Amino acid sequence: MSARRILRKKVILCVGAGGVGKTTVAASIAVASALRGRRTAVITVDPARRLKDTLGLGELSTHPRAVALAGAQEAGSLHAFALDAKHTFDALVERFAGSAAAAQRILDNRLYQELSTSLAGSAEYMAMEKLHHLVTHERYDTVVVDTPPSAHARDLLGAPNRLLDLLATRAVSLLRSPGSLLSGTGSLARVTLSTLLKALERWTGMNLLSDLSEFTAAFEHMMEGFADRARQVETLLHSPSTAFVLVTTPETHTVATTVEFHHELCEAGYPVAGVIANRVLAFPELDAEALAGNGWPERLRQRLLANYEDLRRLSRRDERMLARLQTEADAPLLAAIPLLTELPVSVVQLRRFAQYLS
Amino acid sequence: MKQPQVFFVTGKGGVGKTTVAASLAVHLADEGRRVLIVETDHGGQLADLLGAGDLSAEPKPVAPRVAAARLLPRALVEDYFRGLLRLPFLANRLLNSRSFNALTAAAPGVAEFLLLQKILEWAEPGWRSRSRYDVVLIDGPATGHALKLLGTPRTIASLVPAGPIGAVARGALALLADHTRTHVLVVTLPEELAVTETLEAYDALRNDLAVDVLRPVINRIYPRRFSVHEVEQLLASDERDHPLVIAAQYQLARRRDTERHIQRLRRHLPQSPLSLPMVFDQQLSAAHLHRLGETLAPLLETAPA
Repeated sequence: MSARRILRKKVILCVGAGGVGKTTVAASIAVASALRGRRTAVITVDPARRLKDTLGLGELSTHPRAVALAGAQEAGSLHAFALDAKHTFDALVERFAGSAAAAQRILDNRLYQELSTSLAGSAEYMAMEKLHHLVTHERYDTVVVDTPPSAHARDLLGAPNRLLDLLATRAVSLLRSPGSLLSGTGSLARVTLSTLLKALERWTGMNLLSDLSEFTAAFEHMMEGFADRARQVETLLHSPSTAFVLVTTPETHTVATTVEFHHELCEAGYPVAGVIANRVLAFPELDAEALAGNGWPERLRQRLLANYEDLRRLSRRDERMLARLQTEADAPLLAAIPLLTELPVSVVQLRRFAQYLS
Repeated sequence: MKQPQVFFVTGKGGVGKTTVAASLAVHLADEGRRVLIVETDHGGQLADLLGAGDLSAEPKPVAPRVAAARLLPRALVEDYFRGLLRLPFLANRLLNSRSFNALTAAAPGVAEFLLLQKILEWAEPGWRSRSRYDVVLIDGPATGHALKLLGTPRTIASLVPAGPIGAVARGALALLADHTRTHVLVVTLPEELAVTETLEAYDALRNDLAVDVLRPVINRIYPRRFSVHEVEQLLASDERDHPLVIAAQYQLARRRDTERHIQRLRRHLPQSPLSLPMVFDQQLSAAHLHRLGETLAPLLETAPA
């Protein structure tokens, strides 16, 4: 599959380690998609709000902002969303809670407040929730997701399930009968568990048990809604109209992470379209004639050569890493984007950047 | 006996935190100090850099006067609960239970707290044992997580004022607040987003956390090879498409960019950044670490060690 063909997909997820340029790649894909006449949305969950810079917008919010695109084909448009995990979570509670009073009870619960803001995985969960909403209710042709940086697929995609675990019946039954967690081990287990819960309470300074019981009780009847939503997201992510794009840089550790990530995604049956390598330096080997130069003063020529050798060494490293990526992860290289001296921050620059994708 | 100095290195992902931490460790050891360097994530780059094989929570000597350890948050949490439980079969069953994991994940700051407790054991002589180190150098997590980590003692100390946990929290709080002993080092790159994140980190570190922050280190600076005039002349000649000229032009553009980013840091921060040169070689060697370490020496002038 070429990078161009990805643009026909309904959902495009850019995944990869932190600092590889996922946000820039996601924004460029979104710009390219909109320019080809598709109603496009791009979601970022990055707390640094890089997309805001990248798209040249003053303030992104959870409400869509139209990004001005000159020369887009007639129906093409681009909306950018920055995800605020807390707000999305709150909105979800309000939607599923049944009554305003029930929603408020949950929103006021300390455990909920902790979970919705700081629990590892809540941002990931919210990204998937927002994605689902945009695809099913807002009728975008294409939704591009700039996912939170993760070293492992399970950190990213397992988040909804992990979160549900806490809320699900297992947690509820745990409260009704703490021993159920260690079924069959009797009173010893109960003593053990209460030791642990006390230890946890010491950490948190909260009355964890009563907070948790209140929390789970309030959540209990919302569970079906949540679980159902999680299943729909899973289906969406496995759909043939979805494409996972691994974004990487040619650095040793990033490539290792990418190879592993690719393996995990394939194992779990997600549709991986390929790899986009970002910040690749490509100064080729020069022949003797080029190296001889053209009548430059010798000292200048020496410096030109030394400089070229520096850049050539970096290029060689990149070539080797990309070759390794190809051997170890059986995924097509969709594009190798050269290392730019300037980060694309305007839409014009993003369009130029997007050209590397095709 | 003098208490160990603590250096905490952080910065945006991929800026070279581990390289800077390792170079600083090597330099301090060159100066005769006994250094413990502690890796705090899964990267495993520190062991590679130091040629040290596998690292664990137990410090092991990796170079003259340098010991290294690796603290994994997840393992710390498991060890803690295993210690509480004492019965291995129960501990295993519980730690493998997803509900229990969800519960510990929801309890704020457990992993962060255990990490700080461990560091405190090394940094505070008289805390269980005398310190074997003059410097404890933490190759910390990326900025966001580092801020959370450094903020944990204050949260815990206010939530749990009494008992052994409260005591550890207060100990960590006092250590972090001691500007003569604890220094935070932010590593950055001559890139837009890295600089932005650095400025935000400085603000949070100085104003919210009130810790001592050293001059920022700006990593991977290209050497100055050509003057603007020279490159302009080359570009004006018939040779403008020659690969050597294109490479020179690229180099100059990088330099110009770098200058702009350094100026931005200068404008917003009280201390000017310290530049660390780009290493073009394939693999960082011990010689590189010593050289980079020497370049980092001016940092220590503002941090009496």
